[in-house]
Amino acid sequence: MAFTGRSGGRTYVEPVSDTTIPAATPALPSPSHEIVDHVSEIRLRVRAGSLAELLEEAGRAAAQLQLRGADATRGTWRTIEVSAPDRAALLADWLNELIYLAEAERWVGADFEVDSAEDGRVRARVWGVLIERAPALLKAATLHGLRVDDVPGGLEGQVILDV
Amino acid sequence: MTAATSSYPTIAVGELLREIPRTARSDMRVPVRIYADDELWRQIADDRSVEQLVNVATLPGVVGYVYAMPDVHEGYGFPVGGVAAMRESDGVISPGGVGYDINCGVRLLAAAMDLDEARPRLEAAVHDLSRSIPSGPGRNPRLDLSTADVDRVLEEGCRFLVERGLALPEDLERLEAGGALPGADASLVSVRAKQRGHDQLGTIGSGNHFVEVQVVDELFDAAAAEAYGLHRGQLTVLIHTGSRGLGHQVCTDYVRQMDQVMVRHGIRLPDRQLACAPLTSPEGRAYFGAMCAAANFAWSNRQAITDAVRTVFGRAYGRSGRLRIVYDVAHNIAKLETHGAETLCVHRKGATRAFGPTHPETPGPYRAVGQPVFIPGSMGTASYVLAGTDAALGLSFGSTCHGAGRVMSRGEAKRSRTGAEVRRELEGRGIIVRCPSSGELAEEAPTAYKDVERVVDVVHRAGLARKVARLRPVGVVKG
Repeated sequence: MAFTGRSGGRTYVEPVSDTTIPAATPALPSPSHEIVDHVSEIRLRVRAGSLAELLEEAGRAAAQLQLRGADATRGTWRTIEVSAPDRAALLADWLNELIYLAEAERWVGADFEVDSAEDGRVRARVWGVLIERAPALLKAATLHGLRVDDVPGGLEGQVILDV
Repeated sequence: MTAATSSYPTIAVGELLREIPRTARSDMRVPVRIYADDELWRQIADDRSVEQLVNVATLPGVVGYVYAMPDVHEGYGFPVGGVAAMRESDGVISPGGVGYDINCGVRLLAAAMDLDEARPRLEAAVHDLSRSIPSGPGRNPRLDLSTADVDRVLEEGCRFLVERGLALPEDLERLEAGGALPGADASLVSVRAKQRGHDQLGTIGSGNHFVEVQVVDELFDAAAAEAYGLHRGQLTVLIHTGSRGLGHQVCTDYVRQMDQVMVRHGIRLPDRQLACAPLTSPEGRAYFGAMCAAANFAWSNRQAITDAVRTVFGRAYGRSGRLRIVYDVAHNIAKLETHGAETLCVHRKGATRAFGPTHPETPGPYRAVGQPVFIPGSMGTASYVLAGTDAALGLSFGSTCHGAGRVMSRGEAKRSRTGAEVRRELEGRGIIVRCPSSGELAEEAPTAYKDVERVVDVVHRAGLARKVARLRPVGVVKG
């Protein structure tokens, strides 16, 4: 079967390429992400009301990038825990954990329920699918331009993904 | 395209060389030098390469100049196409200065036959290559290595593949470092990295990686071409790939580790992705040992692909299809090298070593002309064989460019052309194309890259390398 996603926040792709973040709107009604052009890699921006929602949305963005058109077989739940020295590093380490599982186990996290998230630690239940062959695996989440900032109504994160 | 024209002051040092002085930003330790003509400079100044070069110039122990090759473009941390050398005694090593694809590089094979002889069975041979060499994120079930075998690949590199029957003994002298760096230590490579790589030996990967069948269509330096065993009309195969998921994980592991220990070493940086540690520190030494191991994995990967190509050509052409390695060069690596009286750790990220005739590391068969350097063009455009020069040691720590260099993001490339259009254009030029995904084909369209001929012309005129031969593609197996 082709993967179509089980749940998730609003996703949109905006074909712009500068790093100037537009002024955030006061209200962030639901988590969202943008995949923004970068000369050689992918710039991912995520907005959400809380750190837990931000990590869930970043996970959904990674799934969108890794499951493009891939045939997904059975799904399973697993618990993932990641710790990092600060919340920006937590965003990168969280994505790197998902990237590792996708390549080493061909298990792509697709739906996320974060149980607890604080600045340096996240624990989540993740529903993922086994895939035979992913069309586009991510190499890594980098620390270049990495940030998670407080904005009115929530948080905004940015991470450059090596592809 | 980004709209970020460089605001740093620039001094013209020569027709093809610009300098950003050390005074341009207070935290710079050395100036930056950029090789480019006016057209390439306009492209370079229009993304964030210059700012990234300036950031690299702040690293502890950096010496001389930070160099940009004419194919430089924005990356993360280091730009792609950057060269920086740090003193071994008090300098740092930065995993981001090597990149995630450790020892991404290029290998050229020369056939014992010409295109005219190969043409009748060429389409079948290219199709067989695409079936025999896993591409995209594919695995290689024929070479699923045990944990012990992975460790031997990491420490022994291509020597282990000779033992396994995947390399000829004479192949080793035609590989940079003999296909095995001596500082490699498999125990410094994480279990996760080994899990990502254990079934990826002999696979191309994705992105701009490929196996391309080509013909030598122009010679610029007859003596060097003869030394490399190349003649006009000859069939060649160019392999471009790296250390796959194993290398990606090694970089991820050590960027994370160094990000956490920099404070202890008193290092402050303008970009977290430049995370680094002193070469003499436990973290610096550990990364160097792991990086050397990943580099050995990459040489072994290109060797396993070489074995598959030889098998395919043997099936298609019998003895006429035998293939000899011309050379194999890394373009994402950090190496300890002697420059003058100092031992330096030269980081080349998207840049190729280009040693001249008198350098002791230039392999014996090429001492008269300098080491071979291969510059792949974008998909479907010409690639070049260059020769290293002695002058390059003083001009760029013995380095030259590595390819055409992107000017267009992957998204922009896909919006400008469809995969079907790119395929039709290539086939219209007589190029056989095998690619698992139309989207990937569009991302790597020739229009997404700089003009490789212009890039090569700059390095030739600047003395960073000499043009030897041009290779025209006739069959592409894209990753």
